Formats: sequence, structure tokens, C-alpha cells
Amino acid sequence: MWETTIDGRTLHFHLAGINNQNFIMRDEETGSWWQQVTGEAILGPLKGRRLTRVPQDEISFALWKREQPMGRVLRPDPRAAAAGRYAPADWETGIAKLPVATQIRDRRLDLRELVVGVTVNGRAKAYRMTDVQQQNPIIDTVGGVPLVIVAAADGRSVRAFSRVVDGKPADFFARPEATLLVDSATGSEWEFAGRAVGGPLTGRQLAKIELLRDYWFDWRAYHPDTAVYSVGLARQRS
Amino acid sequence: MSRRLLWFLLVIIVAVTLAVVIVPAWVIQPFRPQSPRGLEVSFALKRVAPFVTIVALLACLALVVKLWRGARWSRVFLVIILLPPAVSAWFARQNHFEWMFNPLANAGYALADAATFVADTDLVMAVARNGEAVAYPIRQLAYHHLVPDTVGRVPIVVTY
Repeated sequence: MWETTIDGRTLHFHLAGINNQNFIMRDEETGSWWQQVTGEAILGPLKGRRLTRVPQDEISFALWKREQPMGRVLRPDPRAAAAGRYAPADWETGIAKLPVATQIRDRRLDLRELVVGVTVNGRAKAYRMTDVQQQNPIIDTVGGVPLVIVAAADGRSVRAFSRVVDGKPADFFARPEATLLVDSATGSEWEFAGRAVGGPLTGRQLAKIELLRDYWFDWRAYHPDTAVYSVGLARQRS
Repeated sequence: MSRRLLWFLLVIIVAVTLAVVIVPAWVIQPFRPQSPRGLEVSFALKRVAPFVTIVALLACLALVVKLWRGARWSRVFLVIILLPPAVSAWFARQNHFEWMFNPLANAGYALADAATFVADTDLVMAVARNGEAVAYPIRQLAYHHLVPDTVGRVPIVVTY
């Protein structure tokens, strides 16, 4: 997701092609080609320029409704819906069977393994979705920043937050019956939006770290130096 | 100019005008890998294609006219050979990716509790800016790929 204003000019984008399964968009104003995942113009008059990223959150609709009851939701296009262009509810299982045309040879993970990835201070790290679901929460440090990866009760919505509270890295564990994190230092309870809702630290907000849900091959293609989280190591530094 | 030469020119121009549109479409295929060089070449060809294909079509027309008078059986062929440059000139002006993935024209929105077209378990891409919150269901984004919007007075493009 990108802000479309650059140098004071608002650009209008169209789908233009695909680059190793990540699509390319073209702006009407200059005809430059931009890579969707990086927001960088790869060809054309604006080559090398980068769009400003808009922080995004990929979460379940139920969770979003609870957090943003006054929000608005994009309607489907009636013609596209009628023509059956939209994916069915279980589309992720279908996609998993498609061939992957890529030059990525890094097989630390299966090419179509679902991961969540973070980039902090230029260091990238990928966490298998299955690890996140099983270990919830994952305590880690990336790019020198202590962070926590937490999955919601729905098992699909995942967020990452900085673990630093009052200048010190906190340790968290999960309350199994609800999407609540508890920090071991004060016993305060934190909800999935990163805000403390009970205990001495009530009202505090953890800093959100942007996280991308992606397939391994795509994450690896755009983060060639990425680390991969391994379950079973007590504390990791990367 | 000899008729032989004119025919030769005609064939060459048809080959070039076809290559100019076919090469980028071939390189930028969804399930094939792309190289940076391939993209560079495709970009350059796509930029010049609208102009080159029109010039090629006019050149072919001129050549066909010149060859018409001396021809008998080959008049049929002369007509047929105008089809490829005409198709190229047309295709050079199309965005075939938007045929595959229709852009979302006139995007409409519903309030959260009125959005019955999204299931609770569906994933959405959520944005919040300056007090405004919007959710874009992944199932729609996965098809349209690109939705322009303005959230919290900031123009954005939602991509997937």
C-alpha cells in the first residue's frame, strides 16, 4: 500500500505487468513502471524513486470490525462478482497448488510456505506461519529491536510489536483463552491492538512494527538477506 | 523498385510490428520468471509500440497499394497480410493485464456493520489514517490487484 503523491504530484496507477509473480504498476503521468512490493520505480522517468509506504494490517474481518466499528469496507464490483472473478473463501488452499515460476533456489522453506516477515533497521526476518501459531507469542530481536510476534485467537491475524516498555525489553506470554498477552515484569494484560487493558501498565501502547504476510519465495525474492526464525532456540539475535 | 524487394520489405515490416507487441507480452507472462534485462527490453518496446505499429501499418498499406496493380492471385494474400499489422497497432494500445484483472471502476464502500458481503473469517487489508479506517477484503484485492483510494485525506493505492 502506497501513498501516491510524490514531489507534490498525485500519480494514477494501472496494472502493467508482472515481475516474478509480483506485479508491476504503471503511472499515467510519466509511464514509469513500479514494483508493487517495494514501491520503487524500476523503469521509466521516475526510475529509482520510491513511494511512501502506508502501514497496513492484514487481519480477519471480525477482528477489524471490533477495532474499527465506524470504518468503511470496499464493496465488490458486481460485474466481477457475477462473472465469478473473485476467489472462493478457501482460495489460499487453491493457490498453494499453483506452480511457482521463480529463480529463487533458497529452500530453507518450501516456496509456497506462508510466512510473516518483518524488516527492522534494514534486517529482514521471516517467521513460518505455523511457528507463529504454535509458539504464540514469539519473542525475538531483529535489527537490534526486541519484538514480539503475536497471533490472534482466529489463528490468522498476526501482528508484531516492539517489546520495549519504559526503555526496557519486556517478556510476554499468552493467555490461552483470549487474545491477551501478559508481560512477565508487571503482569499487565495487553490486547491484540498492542494496548495494555489491565494491570499497572493500563493504557500503554506498544509500538507497532510492520509485518507482511507472504509466501516464502516472494519474501525471499525481495529480501535476499533474510533470516529465518528457527523454533527451539531460546533467544535469537539477528 | 522491383516487386521482389517490395514483397521483402512488406514481410520484414510485418515481422517487426508483430515482434514489437509479442516480445513484451511473452516476457511478462504470469507464470514465467522475468529477468531485469527482459523487463528493460519489454518496457522500451511497449513505449515505442503505439508509434511504431501505426507507422508499420501505414508502411504496409503503402506497399500493398504499390503491389496491388501488378498482382493477380496474390491480391488475396495482400489483403490478408494487412491483418497482422492492424492487430498489432490495436494491441499496442491495449492493456491486456486489465483484461485479465479488471480495474475496480467507481469503487463503492459500505459501513462495517452493513458489510454483509464479507465473512468474519475473511482476511482484510486494513488502513487507518487521520481518524479514518478502511478495510479492503483480500478476496477482492487478489483479483483487482490495485485499488486507488483516499484515506484520511491522503491519496493512496492499495496493492496486493
